[in-house]
Amino acid sequence: MSAAGGSWLISFRVGGAEAALPLAVVREVTARPPITRVPGSHPFVSGIALHGGVALPVYDLVRFAPLWSGPRPVRAEGKAGEAEHVIVCDWGEARVGLLGDGVDLLEAEQAGNAPGGAQASRCRMSAEYVREILRRDDEAVLLLNPERLFASLGVPAAEPTGAGEGGGEDDPAGR
Amino acid sequence: MKLLMVSVGEGRYAVPADIVTQILDPALEGDFRVERSEAVYRGVRFPVLDLHAAAGERPGVATVYLVIEAARNRAVVPVDGADSIRDVPSTAIAPLPSFIFSRPDREFRGVFSDGGEPRLLLDQDGLL
Repeated sequence: MSAAGGSWLISFRVGGAEAALPLAVVREVTARPPITRVPGSHPFVSGIALHGGVALPVYDLVRFAPLWSGPRPVRAEGKAGEAEHVIVCDWGEARVGLLGDGVDLLEAEQAGNAPGGAQASRCRMSAEYVREILRRDDEAVLLLNPERLFASLGVPAAEPTGAGEGGGEDDPAGR
Repeated sequence: MKLLMVSVGEGRYAVPADIVTQILDPALEGDFRVERSEAVYRGVRFPVLDLHAAAGERPGVATVYLVIEAARNRAVVPVDGADSIRDVPSTAIAPLPSFIFSRPDREFRGVFSDGGEPRLLLDQDGLL
């Protein structure tokens, strides 16, 4: 254990892989809300949901091709993911949701590093997005690199105070 | 903010009502025709904004046409239905984050709850 040592993680299943994010970036986990497709958005944006009155872009990582090192779980233009949960993350000034199933809380200290063989056979995600491969019972859990992931998804990072407001949002009423 | 609720294929959207000057039903308007990317109404030509193409939808069989006008620009927008006008407080409309769009020009700017379902608000600046 190194980078993840002593921290809590949220694990979730996506595209047949078991992934995890640091709990520090996760605001909450909710049941999948109504999601409306947004024409003109990136293909890996499943749509927009309303979360406490805020527009929550919901991402389907299965559709995000660079994340996967092997065959894509589904085609980019295929049916939208059927995941039952949304992992709501705060990233900089933005709030985003990730579709996932089997959401669980995982303490990194209790999860061991996976042996090399297990890593090679089970990891279908691109190494550049994986900070660490952990082991929970007999399964590998891929701790994602949130900086790399959110940057690649186009989510803006936190700006210095006063440099900008609203996380790239516009005033819908034209004010 | 008064919004006209419209449908485009399977999408349900809203248009600021104050930019809609007319709703034309081609079956009832003898002096209206569409020529490729332009509509001609009473001898005046309007650009046609194809929301069906933008949304990846096929046009329905009973298309009606919205004549919209803002900042001295006019256009015609085909939709599959114009259902009702609702008064939605501006505070109930959440802005869409710009980073979700794959290109700078976009057709939508906000979202609000319509019976529990998110409904997108068209961006008049992006349309005209």
